[in-house]
Amino acid sequence: MHSLKLIYAFLKMNIQMSLAYRADTVVNILLNLMWLGWELLSLNIIFSNTQTLGGWGIGELIALLGVFRLVNTLMIALIWPNTEKFNQSIRDGSMDYTILQPANSMFLVTFSRITVWRFWDLILAVILIVIGINMSGDLITAPQILTFLLLALSGIIVIYSLWIVLIALTFWFTKFDNNVTILQALLDAGRYPATVYPVWLRVIVTFIIPIAVATTIPLQALRGELGFMQVLIFFLIGIASFVIASQVWKAGLKRYSGASS
Amino acid sequence: MAPTISVQQLSKTYQVPEREGGFNAAVRGFFNRKYKDVKAVQEVNFNIEQGEVVGFLGPNGAGKTTTLKMLSGLLHPTSGTANVLGFTPWELKTEYLRSMTLVMGQRNRLSWDIPAADSFLLNQAIYRIPDDEYKETYKELDELLELEPLMKKPVRNLSLGERMKCEIAVGLLHRPKVLFLDEPTIGLDITGQARIREFLQEYNKRTGATIILTSHYMADVTALCERIIIIHHGQLKYDGGINELSKKIAPFKLIGVLMENADEHDLSQYGEQVENMEDADKKFIQVKADEVTRITSRLLADLPVRDITIADPPIEDVIEQAFNA
Repeated sequence: MHSLKLIYAFLKMNIQMSLAYRADTVVNILLNLMWLGWELLSLNIIFSNTQTLGGWGIGELIALLGVFRLVNTLMIALIWPNTEKFNQSIRDGSMDYTILQPANSMFLVTFSRITVWRFWDLILAVILIVIGINMSGDLITAPQILTFLLLALSGIIVIYSLWIVLIALTFWFTKFDNNVTILQALLDAGRYPATVYPVWLRVIVTFIIPIAVATTIPLQALRGELGFMQVLIFFLIGIASFVIASQVWKAGLKRYSGASS
Repeated sequence: MAPTISVQQLSKTYQVPEREGGFNAAVRGFFNRKYKDVKAVQEVNFNIEQGEVVGFLGPNGAGKTTTLKMLSGLLHPTSGTANVLGFTPWELKTEYLRSMTLVMGQRNRLSWDIPAADSFLLNQAIYRIPDDEYKETYKELDELLELEPLMKKPVRNLSLGERMKCEIAVGLLHRPKVLFLDEPTIGLDITGQARIREFLQEYNKRTGATIILTSHYMADVTALCERIIIIHHGQLKYDGGINELSKKIAPFKLIGVLMENADEHDLSQYGEQVENMEDADKKFIQVKADEVTRITSRLLADLPVRDITIADPPIEDVIEQAFNA
């Protein structure tokens, strides 16, 4: 409950910050309208093309695109701006204040910056997922949709955790500004269903770099290709990665407090 | 009753990478990095009672900030213990964080692009301050610091002094019982410094909060603190009343004289000549505090004086002098 209140407070502050500079605001609105137009146009191309890719139907591909957009929104709205803020706060020492606030520092680092302009991205993602599920036909059952949503959430948590680990490494290396570039490079591999990659690459994409967890696996759940055990395992992977990330973060903080001056 | 702050044998040793300048050394350092131990704080002991205002003094790099950081919980000590309000600071218990504050004059807590009022509200949310309590505290702080006119401007448009007021206020919204202030008046002009000082004095009187502050300005410390702790090369060198210290260590004043043809006059017969980098035009002599009037009148009578200043020696000098003697 208090976390929601805090997110609300951060959101309000970030809206105020985005409105602080007028010219910047106008450019942002125009730019985002253009982006939205471009996105809708490119979706139109996909809709008018009924080919399949790697054995996946058009409806499923659209839903996959939706999940991918969801991850992308997470990247743009939270991960990019907060990484920038994080790296800066390590450099200028304002990280000290974050640590001394009586709230979970990982939480503060996650939500203190929110790119509010890209909220439409989130709406678009949800629309795509709904349309995609609808287009996939009548074969899909409610439990399939449910496991799909569950695993999509768990996948997003995996990516989030990966991000936390990457930025926490900064506590050891002091300067590690490329942290998110690495994550983005990994994510771009998840744009296409993992099955289009050769097997060895698929293994890397699925297990070593758990990006497919966020995109392809929820889709497989949607198609009813996953058994109960598999769903459970992927869900547990989500939880485990979050726990591991929290521990790495804690260790990082400890390292920070041991080494900084 | 147990003291509010108690520190026993507190030590902190940093490992600092060490290498010589130059390209080859840089390459060698990449593969085979050598570290040097720097003892920032060594076996420091002290107790501070509730409501005390204590000044931490010492030259740059003496270990003041490191000590403050350990007491606030940012740093783990290498050895030793500290107890503040019944907590071990570096365990970072929520309850502890809600009852202390650290204000660093050189770092910003407020967001640059939005009015301070909005950062205040964010802190209200983070510290879970109920609305009525927040309003009451804010009213009190406003009364003392005249915040209201500053609240609606983006922080980037505030002057340094105005910003510092807001930085201090935002750190006090949750009514902390212990205040750690690391150079809260740095960079401020004389009036600005005086305002912050008056505020801290009044705040301490009203709330009974315990305050530890570090400062480079002797005036900050003399105005606020009855007790000072001097740290030098990481070691505690003095802990006691401020009056005893100035009597013991620095019963001197600096007289600066601006003269026509300064080079022709030798001031060594009036007092020990000292260098002063900040004001190269003047010649400076150091004299005993109780001889200032006598020597000043002699100077004025004997020499073509255009301007004369009398000041406390810089705190760094006092301390250097005290412990290098």
